[in-house]
Amino acid sequence: MGRIFVVELDGRSYRCKFCRTHLALPDDLVSRSFHCRRGKAYLFNNAVNITVGALEERVMLSGMHTVADIFCCCCGQIVGWKYEAAHEKSQKYKEGKFVLERLVRSFASDRGRIVDEIDFSSEVYIDTRPSMSDGEDA
Amino acid sequence: MGGVEDDEPASKRMKLSSEELRRLSNGSTIKEPVAGSSRDLMARPLQSEGGEEVVGSKGVIKKVEFVRIIAKALYSLGYIKSGAHLEEESGIPLHSSVVNVFMRQILEGNWDESVVTLRNIGLTDERTVKSASFLILEQKFFELLDEEKAMDALNTLRTEIAPLGVNDSRVRELSSYIVSPSYCSLTRSPKQDTVRARSRSKLLEELQKLLPATVMVPEGRLEHLVEQALVLQRDACMFHNSLDKEMSLYSDHQCGRDQIPSQALQVYETGVSLKHKLSGHQKPLSSVSWSPDDRQLLTCGAEEVVRLWDVSSGECLHVYEKTGLGMVSCGWSPDGKWIFSGLNDKSICMWELDGKELECWKGQRTLKISDLEITGDGKQIISICRETAILLLDREAKVERFIEEDQTITSFSLSRDSRFLLINLLNQEIHLWNIEGDPKLVSKYRGHKRTRFIIRSCFGGLEQAFIASGSEDSLVYIWHRGTGELIETLPGHSGAVNCVSWNPANPHMLASASDDRTIRIWGLNNLSTKRKEPCSNGIHYCNGVY
Repeated sequence: MGRIFVVELDGRSYRCKFCRTHLALPDDLVSRSFHCRRGKAYLFNNAVNITVGALEERVMLSGMHTVADIFCCCCGQIVGWKYEAAHEKSQKYKEGKFVLERLVRSFASDRGRIVDEIDFSSEVYIDTRPSMSDGEDA
Repeated sequence: MGGVEDDEPASKRMKLSSEELRRLSNGSTIKEPVAGSSRDLMARPLQSEGGEEVVGSKGVIKKVEFVRIIAKALYSLGYIKSGAHLEEESGIPLHSSVVNVFMRQILEGNWDESVVTLRNIGLTDERTVKSASFLILEQKFFELLDEEKAMDALNTLRTEIAPLGVNDSRVRELSSYIVSPSYCSLTRSPKQDTVRARSRSKLLEELQKLLPATVMVPEGRLEHLVEQALVLQRDACMFHNSLDKEMSLYSDHQCGRDQIPSQALQVYETGVSLKHKLSGHQKPLSSVSWSPDDRQLLTCGAEEVVRLWDVSSGECLHVYEKTGLGMVSCGWSPDGKWIFSGLNDKSICMWELDGKELECWKGQRTLKISDLEITGDGKQIISICRETAILLLDREAKVERFIEEDQTITSFSLSRDSRFLLINLLNQEIHLWNIEGDPKLVSKYRGHKRTRFIIRSCFGGLEQAFIASGSEDSLVYIWHRGTGELIETLPGHSGAVNCVSWNPANPHMLASASDDRTIRIWGLNNLSTKRKEPCSNGIHYCNGVY
């Protein structure tokens, strides 16, 4: 196989749980209140070392969006999705941003220790108040 | 010769437009004003009253100029009779009668008369007149010295040359020649007559360069224009890749596609022919670098050590390492005396071949995935120092320059003359930068595909006029460097093409390596091409050997 191009992020970063490839920086974290079928998800301004899949129209709790699934470039695991376009004005802020799902993500420092996040509930729930947070049916 | 008599009044003498000079060239002089009506009577049928005659379909070639430079070319070729005949038949003299007189006087050595005639030519720029007079009188001076008439020479210098007020330092030089005439005689050849004659035509040449082109048509003007056209044609030729093709004047030069390698000549499945197995690295290789003399090979394990191998014996000659750190890239100095390596703490180190560390540049110099190149003069080290920036480090002057891009840089390649850098970006673009002085973006090349891997591109072809790249869609892409146009895509591989290397010695041969585990050698698409093995440093890069 060819040599995969990976970018290294400095300091602490969110990484792929399976292959530890760097995915996003804490500085780029926008919101912690996203959800997907498998659990919580975070919204980031930017993500690296991902490949973007095909665009599709998806109905989310917050309305119709054009999204593309994103995959870890090293192991190929699906790690979340990218918002390409939002059809409603109130959702426009998401355009160009990335969502990384909780269960496929670990937070690690350069020394390789995994820091568990403590503000998660283990229950999966769909937020029925669309104005406050975004429940995404992935 | 004949021609229109110029009726310009004396007050208009100083203002010479091209129109007036054209009339001058037709054999008239300002000193002979004629009543206006005679102009019409003597008007030549070929010349329009107000405008100028043009030739050619685009209407930009002035007929008078065209005929004059042809006449000049005929004379240069030695066809004196043809030249004279052309002047007569066209009614367009090469030089006005004044200029002809002037030229004759120079060649005959009538210096004082020639200076007077010079003034009659009617040049507007007084400085030109003075400089020309200086040259003429300087010649007179030297010839007087040759004839050993030192007093006359001194007189000339004092009363004629010095008052011009031109080039005072030269005047002082000339005065020193009077004092030591032997200096002069050293530069002379024994035959006096031939020297003088030769140097008089040399003087005429110098004067030709000094005087405006409309007065005296410059030497070789037609040849120069034709050469310009040929060079432009050659530069516009997108497939120009062979020295053999001679350029003809009969038709515009245009190479065909057949000059670009497009046919797979050889496909290597398991390795060209296994010469040695170089074992020793514990980690996959991140880079490979041939020595300038092709006898040794440097290999770098990913965040491991750098090993030096002898190519003919397969023996590992040396291991370079730094405690606590891992190496990520390697390269040779162009004189083969030093090796460089990038380390995983972002520094770059330099060693002598025997392992003695010479220098270490700490700080943000290189990344874990980065190429490392040294320019041909051994002075600049080039590496990717940040996601979107390349560092050009002058190791002697300790000067840093940066190339800043908008997108993440994945790899780069240095041109053979070390003046240009080809940068591969994450967003599937290849950028060409000029790295002399302040780095400048020159061109962009697009079309190939890249989403996951490090795809390499390179310069190649005759005078590196082409850019080739691998691609994740299994094709080899070739662009014309100057225009940026994609001229070829080569199918054949069944996996992503990771890197390409154009044979530096043979512009018709290209090698590509792919995820389908083959190496393909591409050549010209005709049967008469001889198959040649690529020279040993034809394949520079290795994307990872597992």
